[in-house]
Amino acid sequence: MHEGSDIVTIEGLALSQGLHPMQAAFIEHDGFQCGYCTPGQILSAVCVLDELSAGFPSAATADLNAAPEGSAAELRERMSGNICRCAAYPNIIAAIVDVKGSET
Amino acid sequence: MKDFTYHRANSLDEAVTLLESTPNAKLLAGGTNLLDLMKLQIETPQHLIDINHIGLDKVETLPSGGLAIGAVVRNADLAAHPIVKRDYGVLTRALVSGASGQLRNRATTAGNLMQRTRCPYFYGTTKACNKRVPGSGCDAVNGFSTNLAVLGASASCIATHSSDMAVALRALDAMIVVIGQAGERRIALSDFHRLPGDTPHVETSLDSHEIIARVELPAPIGGRQVYRKVRERASYAFATVSVALIARVDAERVAIDRVAFGGLAAKPWRVEAAEGRGFGLPGEISEAAASVVFDGASPTDHNKYKLDLARQALHAALIDAREQRI
Repeated sequence: MHEGSDIVTIEGLALSQGLHPMQAAFIEHDGFQCGYCTPGQILSAVCVLDELSAGFPSAATADLNAAPEGSAAELRERMSGNICRCAAYPNIIAAIVDVKGSET
Repeated sequence: MKDFTYHRANSLDEAVTLLESTPNAKLLAGGTNLLDLMKLQIETPQHLIDINHIGLDKVETLPSGGLAIGAVVRNADLAAHPIVKRDYGVLTRALVSGASGQLRNRATTAGNLMQRTRCPYFYGTTKACNKRVPGSGCDAVNGFSTNLAVLGASASCIATHSSDMAVALRALDAMIVVIGQAGERRIALSDFHRLPGDTPHVETSLDSHEIIARVELPAPIGGRQVYRKVRERASYAFATVSVALIARVDAERVAIDRVAFGGLAAKPWRVEAAEGRGFGLPGEISEAAASVVFDGASPTDHNKYKLDLARQALHAALIDAREQRI
């Protein structure tokens, strides 16, 4: 189904000069405990910010015809489906908010 | 998972020919439901025909002012399409309330319509299910039916259709365009999904050798467009009850223009008897919601709450419509 597709894994996310900003933010904000879900959380978080920049709406988007705000509530909605049984959610959101803030 | 042969079709004609000539074949689009069902051996096709590369991935305006949505347009792309966001807001709202971001990036328009029920008895392979094994009976009818159908059910099946998108498409009077060896055929969304009757395994009016090419929407009808979904958690869950509402609202009155419900039946449930009536604001919103009568409802003790919940969801949707700033 995906012959010829490019796939980025957590190993491919790091930049040649060091960690990707999202990886660094997860460490800074302690966005994990056991680490099992962390690669998926980080890759999803990077894509969530890309989709936000591209104007993709979510169920938490108030006005469909304005650029989505990317509030914490909206980031939580966009990250839903990424389950963390250690419940590091508040710190994961803090990491994403941090990276989002430094991008804009 | 059982062995199967993978075919990548390179054109619509090739896909139609392959489907006609290959016994026990299934079409593969996003695979977000089919592959799960294959792993559970609930679906056991010997051949998969991949239709992701045959040009059905476009959203185009129609001379009528409507919109043609290709069969494999991704749910995420459709929700984000500028014309859909602007003119068919109820469709964007319904799409983004479904599944998760990853699933919406992969799931397709036609696949969403063709998805199978999430009835736990359909998935529980130790249980009797007429959808999974025709004629084997239905353990759900006298089983745990909290989230199953309250309308259009039969003694053979009380499963619901779990799409959010289809509920919005029902409110928008969508048309499904299908292609087979005999050419093109148009099926109104209202006639596409079938109620179970004695043959709950026959879920749509699509013939076994037909392919959905696109979904067509009529020209935009405006109005305040709302999709309200009630579920057991705030995100990433199927609807207990949902409502797609298009309303006309001014300072004094609200009128229900279109209203369709999800989570109640094996198909989206439009309530045309409630449409076109006006109600005074703000006091008569509860009267508007109460005016929705679900004729022929046959709930179980477990799920009779859904009928009240559906009216309450409409009540909330009417308030959303009143407060929506467009």
